[in-house]
Amino acid sequence: MNTFWLLYKAEIKLSFREMSSVIFGLILPAGLMALMGLFANNNEELNLSFAAIATIGLCATGLMSLPLSLSSYREQKVLKRYKVTPISPMNLLFAHVSYCFSLSIFSMTMVYAVARFGFGMTLIGSPWKFTAGYLLVMVAIHSVGLMIASLSPSEKTTGAISSALYFPMFLLSGATIPFEIMPNFLQAIVKVLPLTHGIELLKGISLDQLSNLTFSISLLALTTMIGLFISIKFFKWE
Amino acid sequence: MKYAIEVSGLTKTFGATTAVQHLSLRVKKGSIFGLLGHNGAGKSTTIDCILGTQKPSQGAIKILGMDPSKDRKQLFQNVGVQFQESAFQKGLKVKEICEITHSLYKNPLDWKEKLEMFGLSHRLKVKVSELSGGERQKLCILLAMMGQPDVIFLDELTTGLDPLARREVWSTLQNLKDLGVTIFLTSHFMDEVENLCDEILVLKNGQTLISGTVPEVIAYSGGKNMDDAFIKLIEGEFE
Repeated sequence: MNTFWLLYKAEIKLSFREMSSVIFGLILPAGLMALMGLFANNNEELNLSFAAIATIGLCATGLMSLPLSLSSYREQKVLKRYKVTPISPMNLLFAHVSYCFSLSIFSMTMVYAVARFGFGMTLIGSPWKFTAGYLLVMVAIHSVGLMIASLSPSEKTTGAISSALYFPMFLLSGATIPFEIMPNFLQAIVKVLPLTHGIELLKGISLDQLSNLTFSISLLALTTMIGLFISIKFFKWE
Repeated sequence: MKYAIEVSGLTKTFGATTAVQHLSLRVKKGSIFGLLGHNGAGKSTTIDCILGTQKPSQGAIKILGMDPSKDRKQLFQNVGVQFQESAFQKGLKVKEICEITHSLYKNPLDWKEKLEMFGLSHRLKVKVSELSGGERQKLCILLAMMGQPDVIFLDELTTGLDPLARREVWSTLQNLKDLGVTIFLTSHFMDEVENLCDEILVLKNGQTLISGTVPEVIAYSGGKNMDDAFIKLIEGEFE
């Protein structure tokens, strides 16, 4: 337990030393919420913006930090080094995932605080359901990240795949540009991205419009299962 | 149990290439054993197989009477390892890696005192990646000693160290040996081998050329000293 705590603390410190998760996962979404808050005409629009922007943090950790760190730990033989100690390298993996989850949740809370205290948003739907939905999206996106780390042969490749997934999801899935204003062909592409369904789900919950969410929930659950299955099957420590 | 490490008939193949062929060795408890060979001779593969980080294609391995792939949790309480590449999370500081490593063991040593002894106390808050080569090497040896192990593996022990730092490391190893610790090392410096090792084994292209005490190997090769003997052996005047 002590080791886990030290590893967890170290992962947090390392991410603050490196800054990219802080910029993409905390500063960017908080800033974007402040901007969208200025444009919002009513509480409903605030809710929709909040639901979308709340996912930026989990994408930054799930699609960038998690696969990049694991690939780097494998390439730098950090995982191998833990294999010749009394603990399993699995501890380091868990510590990193825990850090990712912590930062995601903190990011969502921060975005909420900006919307709530900056612009007087009140969440229309249930906060508990929103939290549950958020956790599902978080787990689904992180399992995609884990899958990238398992399949990618090198740190460089992981960087390319991560960027190729993060930026389109970030721009297209409705977190920044509203889905409704996109041309049809773009909507078709965007519809297959898991994050699109995550945002769909969170928007639905925040407005308390819970019908038609079954498909999104199933798709996220399926993404999680496939991601974890592939990760368990293909992940290599070295 | 007289031997700390026992390897018999170790063979490791990668596809069509044989990295290590039919290697057998035994390391007496409390002795220093040197594994020698040119670059690419199979030293690292041998260490990997002995430690269980690679699965041997054939052969039996025991460290302290335990199977390294099955009993790893218990075994690595008593076995310390320093790999060739110092593998730490990017950006980690000296203090942090020491604390983490300290937390892994049931009976760890006082790392602050050891850091002081190694002249690294003032580097506590420095990132491992910013240490000089010698400092990093000393830190790695300290980390390998952290659990107060009975057996310690050191891959390329003093590569990158200046002569002064090498002497320091040598005396550290002598002290460990005096405490009864078994040491398994690889090295490219023959003076080091002559100075430290009780027994050695020379590898060439995965094959064992000879094993024995340093004087035995020198006598067998007909060389003047270990440096000479090593070159004669590797250049293949004995096939």
